[in-house]
Amino acid sequence: MATQVFKVPDIMIDGFKFGFCPGCDHGVAMRLVAECLDELNLQENTICASAIGCSVCIYDYINVDTIEAPHGRAIAEATGVKRAKPDKFVFTYQGDGDFASIGLAESMHAALRGEKISAICINNTNYGMTGGQLGPTTMVGQVTTTSPTGRNLEYYGYPMKIAEQFALCDGVAFSARVSLDTVPNIRKAKAAIKKAFEYQIKGLGFSFVEILSSCPTNWRMTPQKAHDRVRDEMMKVFVPGVYKDILESKQV
Amino acid sequence: MTTTLNKSEGKVLIKGNYAIANAAVIAGCQCYFGYPITPQSEIGEFMSGKMQELGRAYVSAESELGAINMTIGACSTGVKAMTSSSSCAISLMQEGISYACSDELPVVIVSVMRGGPGLGNIYPSQGDYEQAVIGGGNGDYRIIVLAPGTVQECVDLTYKTFYLAHKYRMPAMLLADGLLGQMMEPCLFGDYPYPEVDNSEWMLTGAKNRHRRVIRSYAPLAEDQCVFLNKLFNKYKVLEENEVMYDEYMVDDADIVVMSFGSMGRNVKSAVKACREKGLKVGAFRPLTLFPFPNRKIEELSHSAKKILVTEINMGQMLRDVRLAVNGRIPVEFLGKPVGSMIDIEDIVKKIESMIEV
Ligand SMILES: Cc1ncc(C[n+]2csc(CCOP(=O)(O)OP(=O)(O)O)c2C)c(N)n1
Repeated sequence: MATQVFKVPDIMIDGFKFGFCPGCDHGVAMRLVAECLDELNLQENTICASAIGCSVCIYDYINVDTIEAPHGRAIAEATGVKRAKPDKFVFTYQGDGDFASIGLAESMHAALRGEKISAICINNTNYGMTGGQLGPTTMVGQVTTTSPTGRNLEYYGYPMKIAEQFALCDGVAFSARVSLDTVPNIRKAKAAIKKAFEYQIKGLGFSFVEILSSCPTNWRMTPQKAHDRVRDEMMKVFVPGVYKDILESKQV
Repeated sequence: MTTTLNKSEGKVLIKGNYAIANAAVIAGCQCYFGYPITPQSEIGEFMSGKMQELGRAYVSAESELGAINMTIGACSTGVKAMTSSSSCAISLMQEGISYACSDELPVVIVSVMRGGPGLGNIYPSQGDYEQAVIGGGNGDYRIIVLAPGTVQECVDLTYKTFYLAHKYRMPAMLLADGLLGQMMEPCLFGDYPYPEVDNSEWMLTGAKNRHRRVIRSYAPLAEDQCVFLNKLFNKYKVLEENEVMYDEYMVDDADIVVMSFGSMGRNVKSAVKACREKGLKVGAFRPLTLFPFPNRKIEELSHSAKKILVTEINMGQMLRDVRLAVNGRIPVEFLGKPVGSMIDIEDIVKKIESMIEV
């Protein structure tokens, strides 16, 4: 008897084709989100607040009710949805610019209020959709289209460590950073997303997963090189791990 | 003010801001999101207690950006939801208002005007007529704007704002000013007088036993955006056909019609009465809907009257819309002041008399 070991998640839209650049991790991240929604049987009860950036088209791939928020406001709209319909499962899928720069106030206050929503944030160390400008996670020394000689501290200051910052908010139930650079890490990433979703279902508070992602086009790298950079450079500064888990009482 | 629900049988003496908040509660507002700003903070203060007491949602938003987008999120699920603010902070909501228009969501916004530009001051003003009616968000859009002139109208038009927002599935604003927000008058609440609008065709509930729904404004194809905007503007046409409201007083035989909106209409009416006592043929006209604007009625008046006087607590904003409707047929004069209390009755009478003498 043959057993099926691999399939496209039921919740993915029939016949979808990811439109991301070759080697971009958005597709992997969205697939993991889809698998978790499927496994937790959430399709019929979910409302997604999508963001602006490369993540905007999540509704082209994942078959759930969705509201598309302005740049930076996905968490605010998710808050409105959840407060209006507390029995719905509500999540956002955002870039780091969206979540941690233009939307930082919304994100942090939702975390402090302990809004019972889940946020997935893609850290690709730049503003991807607009062509790779310097953003809140651009690394020291990194060349972007608006840091032509590299991120120097005098001009640009420091990048933000999002998962660590949010772990400090008392309303947060779960805050983790994961990477998609290898298969074992992809498995860990999925486990973190699933846990974040479960914590919302249990009503424990705000749950957050930061996903380190490649951006080969804007980094001017091959997909392989881009993943090497995730591993060799990003993971050294943006260290993967669980920064807060109120059930494990792990706190930074 | 203690936050007891004033669902009174008889009249109660109440501040405009509380009247608006209480009317919203009676209208069935399920979610309130707001950030404090004078002269409308009583709305949020009332809501914080009342919504919790009723098991509805209240969030002290981190900013007006947060507040308007929380309201959008709540409205996307089909419930009645609102936010309230004032002048420089309504400025922060303009992005959200533009998105709510393209999302076609029944977002209710209460704007209690203060002086501007910038931080300005907390005196009454009508300087945000254009902010409300023309708007500062991007793209081609309109929102419904209702302008009460008494505390009773604050109640009645709050009901209407919720109803029209849902009936036409678009943002609607109640445009009051600091004078109205802070002043006490007797008023009657009664019951919410409108039918409930069925939102089940579009609201987000989770895709159970149906296809999923996406509420979005991103329109990658120009053709799609053309179709959408034509649809939006057809909706605005229907509004202009069916929902125009105004208050008129002795305009039928009037040589001079004095036009104003909101609280300024109070002194205008008194001035018109004073003129009538002097035997002068003067009438008063006050749009209750600033969008849709009573263009047709003003055009009619421009045929029957000889002159129009527009009075506003600003430098002349509704003035422009009146002039467009009059289209040069008769002179349209202006009496205004930048900010502060209403223009004195005697000053309005004097201005009217000067217009007759010429
Ligand atoms: C208010 C506003 N400012 C700027 C933009 C332009 N813009 C669109 S996407 C984007 C950057 C998105 O970057 P990020 O959130 O990191 O997501 P990514 O595209 O990298 O996945 C910007 C600046 C916008 N749409 N709205």
